[in-house]
Amino acid sequence: MDAIDPTNLSPVAAPPTRRRGNLRSVVVLVVLVAAIGLLLSQGLLSNLNYFKTVDEAMAQKSQLGTQTLRLEGLVERGSIARTNSGASFVLTGSGKQHVNVRVSGTPPQLFRANIGVVVVGHFVSAASLNFVGNQIIVKHSASYIAAHPNRFKGQNGSPR
Amino acid sequence: MKRLAPLLGPATVLSLAVTFVMGLWLTPPDVVQGQLVRLLYVHPALAWVALYVSFATTTIASALYLWPRTRTMTMDRVAYCAMEVSIVFIALTLITGSLWGRPAWGVWWAWDARLTATAIMLILELGYLALRRANDDAKVRARRSAVFGILIALNVPIIHFAVQWWKTLHQPATVLSNSGKVTVHGSMLWTLLLSFVAFTLLFFWLLRARYRLENQREHRRDAGLATVLEQRQREGL
Repeated sequence: MDAIDPTNLSPVAAPPTRRRGNLRSVVVLVVLVAAIGLLLSQGLLSNLNYFKTVDEAMAQKSQLGTQTLRLEGLVERGSIARTNSGASFVLTGSGKQHVNVRVSGTPPQLFRANIGVVVVGHFVSAASLNFVGNQIIVKHSASYIAAHPNRFKGQNGSPR
Repeated sequence: MKRLAPLLGPATVLSLAVTFVMGLWLTPPDVVQGQLVRLLYVHPALAWVALYVSFATTTIASALYLWPRTRTMTMDRVAYCAMEVSIVFIALTLITGSLWGRPAWGVWWAWDARLTATAIMLILELGYLALRRANDDAKVRARRSAVFGILIALNVPIIHFAVQWWKTLHQPATVLSNSGKVTVHGSMLWTLLLSFVAFTLLFFWLLRARYRLENQREHRRDAGLATVLEQRQREGL
C-alpha cells in the first residue's frame, strides 16, 4: 500500500468503478420479461377483475359449481326482505338473468333497491339459482345528484 | 413568474378555504350517498395531484435531466421534490379513499385493480426515496432516480385506465371520463372543479417550499465541506 501523505489534502481521483459487462443487465432483463410474460399468460390479467357480473356467472355456471366468487348485479326493486341472519334479495344482470341471494350479516348503509352491489359467496349447487353470501359491498356509480336540488338549507340552518 | 410566486401561498389558502366552505355548507347532499358526497371535494383532487400533476412534474424534470443538453442538477432536485410531495398526496388519497369506502362500499379496502395499483404506486414511490439514499455520488444518484422516476410513471396510465380495462369496485372517472358526459349536479361540479384547482395550487406551493429547502441544504452541505477542508488544510500546515 502506498503511504498517504497527511499534509496533502488536494482532492484525489475516485478509484475506477468496476465495469460489469452488459451481459449481466441483459440476463436480468430477460428474466424479468420472462417472469412478466409468464404471469400474463397464466391469466393474471383476467384475474384482475374484481367480480363476475350476473351475466358472466350464469354463462359459466356449470364450471363455477359452488366455488366462492364475487357476484355483481343490480338489486331488484321490491325484492329486499329481512331474514333471521341478514337479508335476501334478487340480483339482476343486464338481461333477464336473475339470482336469488341470501346474505348473512348487516348490509352496508347505502344498500337499497336498484343499486349495484357485489356479493361475496357461492351458488348452493351448480344447477341452483340460489346464491349464499356473507358480505355485501355496495358498488355505487360516478353520478352525484343533489338530494334536494331546490332546498339547500334545512330548518335548523344545516344542509339537508 | 418571479413576481407571481409570492402570490402562490395566498391563492392556495384562499381557494382551499372557498372549496372548504362550498364543500361543507353550500353544496347539497347526494341523493344516494347523502353527506358522504362531501369527500368528492377532497379525494379526487388529491388523486389528481398525486398521479397527474406531480408525476407530470417528475417525469418532465427527469427527462430533462437525462437529455444531455438540458442536464442540470436543478432538474434532478425538482424531480425529487415533486416525488416527495407526491408521496404525501398519494398516501392521503389512499387514506381518504379508505374513509370513503367504509361507509359507501361497506369495506375499508378492496383488492380491485385500481386500489391495488395505487397501493403499489405508493410502494414504488417509497422505493424511489430508497434509491436516492443508495448512492452518495450526486450524478449517479440523479441519473438512476431519473430513470426510475420515468419507469414508475408507467403505472399512472395503468391506474387511470384500470377502471376501464378491468371490472373494479372503484367507480369510473367522474370528470375525465371517456364519454365526456359528466353526471354531477351543478354546484357540486363547480366545487369539484374548484377543488382540483385548489389542490393543484397547494401542490406547487409545497413543491416550491420543498425545493427551496433542498437548495438551502445543498448550499449548506457545500459550505460545510469548504469550511472543513479549510480547517484540515490549516491543521496540515
